[in-house]
Amino acid sequence: MFQRRKRGDKGQGGRPKANFRDLGRAIRYLGTYKRLTIFAYLFLFISTGAQLMVPQLVQNVLDAVTNGLIAKQIANVPANALPTVLDRLSWSSDQFDTFVNRPEVALYWAIVFIVIFAVARGAFAFSQTFIAEQVSQGVAFDFRNELFEKIQRLSFSYHDRNRTGQLMIRATDDVEKLRGFIGQGLLMAVQAFALLTGTLAILLFTNFRLTLVILPILPLALILFMIFGTVAQPLFAAVQVRLSRLNTILQENLAGIKVVKAFVRESQEQAKFHVAAEDLMNQGITVGKVFSFLFPVIFMLANLGQAAILYFGGVQIIDSSLTFGEWQKFSLYLIYVFFPIGQLGFIISQMSQASASATRIFEILDAQNEVVNKPDAAPLSAISGKLAFDDVTFRYFGGGDPVLSNISFAAEPGQTVALLGATGSGKSTIINLIPRFYDVSEGSLTIDGIDVRDVTLDSLRSQIGIVLQETNLFTGSVRDNIAFGRPDATDEEVIAAAKAAAAHDFIMSFPDGYKTSVGERGSTLSGGQKQRVAIARALLLDPRILILDDSTSSVDLATEATIQRALDKLMQGRTSIVIAQRISTVRNADQIIVLDKGRIVGVGTHTELMETNPIYAEIFSSQLVEDAVMDDGGSENGGSDNGGAGEKEMALAG
Amino acid sequence: MMGSQRLLNQETMKPKRVGATLGRLSRYFAPYVLVLLVVAALIVGSTWAQVYSPELIGQATDCYIAPAVARSAVTNGTGGAAIPGMDNLAEQMGGESASKSNCWWAADLAPDADNDALISGLLRLVLVVVALYVGTSIFSGLQFFLMTWAGNHVLRNLREEVFRHIHRLSLGYYSKNEAGDIMSRITNDMDTLQQAMNFALLQVLGGVLLIVWIIYKMLTLNLAYALISMTVVPVMILATLWFSAQARKAFRKTRQEIGNVNANLQESISGVREVQAFAREDANIENFRVSNAANRDANIRAVAYTSALAPTLEALGYVAIAIVVGVGGVYLLRGQSLGGALVSLGLMVTFLGYVQRFNQPIQQVSVLWTNIQSAVAGAERIFGLLDEEPDIVEAPNPVKMGQIQGRVEFRDVTLEYNPGELVLRGVNLTAEPGQTVAIVGPTGAGKTTIINLIPRFYDAKSGSVSIDGINVRDMQLDSLRRQIGIVLQDSFLFSDTVMNNIRFGRPEASDEEVIAAAQLAHADDFINSLSEGYQTVLGERGGGLSQGQRQLLAIARAALANPRILILDEATSSVDTRTERQIQAALEVLLAGRTSFVIAHRLSTIRNADQVMVLQDGVIAERGTHTELLDKRGAYYDLYMSQFQKEEA
Repeated sequence: MFQRRKRGDKGQGGRPKANFRDLGRAIRYLGTYKRLTIFAYLFLFISTGAQLMVPQLVQNVLDAVTNGLIAKQIANVPANALPTVLDRLSWSSDQFDTFVNRPEVALYWAIVFIVIFAVARGAFAFSQTFIAEQVSQGVAFDFRNELFEKIQRLSFSYHDRNRTGQLMIRATDDVEKLRGFIGQGLLMAVQAFALLTGTLAILLFTNFRLTLVILPILPLALILFMIFGTVAQPLFAAVQVRLSRLNTILQENLAGIKVVKAFVRESQEQAKFHVAAEDLMNQGITVGKVFSFLFPVIFMLANLGQAAILYFGGVQIIDSSLTFGEWQKFSLYLIYVFFPIGQLGFIISQMSQASASATRIFEILDAQNEVVNKPDAAPLSAISGKLAFDDVTFRYFGGGDPVLSNISFAAEPGQTVALLGATGSGKSTIINLIPRFYDVSEGSLTIDGIDVRDVTLDSLRSQIGIVLQETNLFTGSVRDNIAFGRPDATDEEVIAAAKAAAAHDFIMSFPDGYKTSVGERGSTLSGGQKQRVAIARALLLDPRILILDDSTSSVDLATEATIQRALDKLMQGRTSIVIAQRISTVRNADQIIVLDKGRIVGVGTHTELMETNPIYAEIFSSQLVEDAVMDDGGSENGGSDNGGAGEKEMALAG
Repeated sequence: MMGSQRLLNQETMKPKRVGATLGRLSRYFAPYVLVLLVVAALIVGSTWAQVYSPELIGQATDCYIAPAVARSAVTNGTGGAAIPGMDNLAEQMGGESASKSNCWWAADLAPDADNDALISGLLRLVLVVVALYVGTSIFSGLQFFLMTWAGNHVLRNLREEVFRHIHRLSLGYYSKNEAGDIMSRITNDMDTLQQAMNFALLQVLGGVLLIVWIIYKMLTLNLAYALISMTVVPVMILATLWFSAQARKAFRKTRQEIGNVNANLQESISGVREVQAFAREDANIENFRVSNAANRDANIRAVAYTSALAPTLEALGYVAIAIVVGVGGVYLLRGQSLGGALVSLGLMVTFLGYVQRFNQPIQQVSVLWTNIQSAVAGAERIFGLLDEEPDIVEAPNPVKMGQIQGRVEFRDVTLEYNPGELVLRGVNLTAEPGQTVAIVGPTGAGKTTIINLIPRFYDAKSGSVSIDGINVRDMQLDSLRRQIGIVLQDSFLFSDTVMNNIRFGRPEASDEEVIAAAQLAHADDFINSLSEGYQTVLGERGGGLSQGQRQLLAIARAALANPRILILDEATSSVDTRTERQIQAALEVLLAGRTSFVIAHRLSTIRNADQVMVLQDGVIAERGTHTELLDKRGAYYDLYMSQFQKEEA
């Protein structure tokens, strides 16, 4: 148990090894949404293009302004000098005319286009994000469905090895991480790349020298962002670890407040909490330290880029090798350079997480289901209920020491077989083999002479009723829970089953009767009530074979008696395999099978075994000691008491 | 954007008494007031730098660039030969007049300053800008760090105060409030508070200050130009508010849906054995598909709003740029004055810088504002918890109890959890030192209530509970409770080592004493079989152990505490044979020589008890030994028979 947990933790918390093959496989899930995906990418390029146009248009506006200004000045130049001046500016006289007389036309057009491209950018960026969300949610939907379906069908041996919480995390967190990457991250990466190359191309084309000035800043920024990406994750994880440590203490002190007070542990617990709170605080401050260094440095780098443009661009203007408009354009484009670099840094860290998630998800999806229908499995027709174990041996996970060795017994239709033995003797394993929750390792298990492995699982299991000690109920009404195995049952049938299970009365005492909703895991019902609903649930199937763990937990004496009677009714006329905890069950059984370390060490009726089997006698006197004491207690108190009991019993039977 | 989506997805709560809560919260900051003052100064400083730098860039334009732009017509960068008859053209054009009048940075710069002079002037200015940028970064880094530092300290103090307070509160509070609810409230509220203090507060303060300052700056630079340039700002604000509100509404739905998906997963996975047993896989898969699809659709709907916000603001930002350069450009070209002053190239550049700085703070403030609101509401609830007064308080001069004999006496004890609902109605009983008192009765009869009165988890409404003749109300609580051991049905264990769990009630006990207690409780065997023996760390609430093993540990824990009075709530759940026998044996040792109160489910316990109390509806209906009571043929007899009858029916 403890070791298993540790191993699990390692898989969860350790640095995920990036396996990009799994990520590639996950990306192929986009295939379902091919058309949407294509549109998302198409819109992405359009919106990026529109975005790239804006600084260029701003340059056009500014150029129009400066050209107009210059032209106005030149208009004062003596006519004889004008051609020289125009030549130096490389303006034609037509251009000069336009600049002098109608300088605003170019400006207006540029403004109109800025607005048009702004709208286009907005519209396409929105469409692209929205479509990407549809795709990514669709992929997540598919992953979750597939996981759920797989998990629901995986055999018990798988669930023995994996805890609910872990499987939950795969279906929620891991799917979400993968969704974030496939749906948005991938798109963002492409967008960032397109924006970056587009911008750099324009910049290089506009002014090679000035571009070279800012180029060295780029790898520096990328490195910083990547550092940030790699540093942030473990830092936050460390905070989470400390926070959950703190919360565990809080949780335990709330839930166990009585114990804490009773043992006067307040000061120790406070000391413990203090350490944890201090620890959490220090980690929070460490995070603060790292971030308060990294963020401003990244910010500063971007600003220094602007300052560089300001100076080197300014120098070029003074040299007349750059126009004022180009200068401002550079400064606008520079934002486009830093933004995608930040995105890329983010995506790179997202990618390694997503691929780890993909690996974990495919681990489930690829898990081998150990119990499956044979290709030629036929449905099991209505059975009469003869059950036979023939030399059955069972090992968990196909290896290790056998949990059951050479078990052979047969139960005739309608018989009750009680299984008796200490914890770990193999009782539960035997009952788990019957509905094929596990497959036998050796030997065979037949029902009405048919090997259970030759029939379909559904047809087999729908003819077997199971009542376990630990009762799980499901969200829904009481009725839904009783009709769990037969959703098509009529109300009359449900009520009849509930009555037989002694559940009808308490159900009717709820304001909503059968429509009363059962909270998560049956939280609105008491333990005894849950058990009776479970009995009704099994009764409604009207199974030929019944599997039963007859122990009742945490219920008061009266309820226990009621449950016992319901169970007795349930067993009537069915082949019943019972893990026996009660003397009455044992006494009434047609056969008692005594198990020890996975082997049958005794078969017979109570009387037979009491005489011939020392192990049985031992178990009987110890395991059922309480009942035995009860018996003795009755007789000890004289005949009259016994007689009274007898009367009571008679009255009940009548 | 990803961040804002996450923030929009948070539950928002509206605080009720903002003033009082903020006032009280500020008291927690009192020890760090110096730090906060520094932070405030840093915010002002870095905001000033952010407002000032675009103005400087404008100055760079007007003082050094604009003259060069104008002159380029003549020199074209080559410093080419003068054009005949144009000797003073350069001087004439040395400043387009608006720029010239707008340049205050280098007002004394000669109109005919040569390129080298311009470049060296520009360099000086750029170095100042660089200094500003570096300063801003250092300032914002420092403020972020100091705020995190102060916020984390405040939170630690608050956390510890809350923790101490939950120990002070009496059990009455916990019976009215589910531990899980209290827990999730504390963690959630602390979480939002932490976010607000470390991040949101700073961003919002800095953001608001920046917006206001920029607006002020623009208005003073050129009122009319500023007003025209800022026309999109109200649209930005409205769009942000509207989209955020819609998104929040939509995300509320997604939280519900993901909750359904998780609940569905949780129960289908943990109940997978039953699902397969009843061949319900297909129906369940179909069910899941429905809630999964609802979740997908709700998310897509919510994201429609969040994914519209950023592009809308970006487009509006471009429009703002277009307005600045368009309007400025037209007035520049016409040489007309706008708002009483000429628009210069530099002013355009400055405004261009300003309008680009609006976008981010508006978005952040709107998103984070609700975060701060929630944090205040969270603080309000935490204070609400801190204001809960414990019902059980020590008397002014409590008696510090020395070693007690263990004589327990109830005199006419009544008790109610809710006014008017008496749970105990006049209970009288006396347990002599060393006696075992078994309490039996149906659920709800008040058995647990009786045992809760002895360690003074509750106070009686009337009557008295006394030990060795002293009323428990007069005792020092610790000295009372140290002498009482408790073994509860659900044997609460802590996620710590086995050793520390046993040592729980006597932290100073040596390892040998712990092991001796474990041996006494018959727990030694199974502990040694654990992977790391006594050093094995238990899962939360003793996870990984069977119920019986947990009970054995609880017994060892009580044994080590070596109390004079023992309170025992016998577990009813079935444990396996061996363990059951061990528990029985362990209990026998534990009970010997101590005054013990046992809520009894085992017949053997009842039979060995010195007194059996049959509790019905809050009164002791019958008392005596097992045999006496059976002979009476009263309530106990019926109870006994129903058990007996169960066995034989």
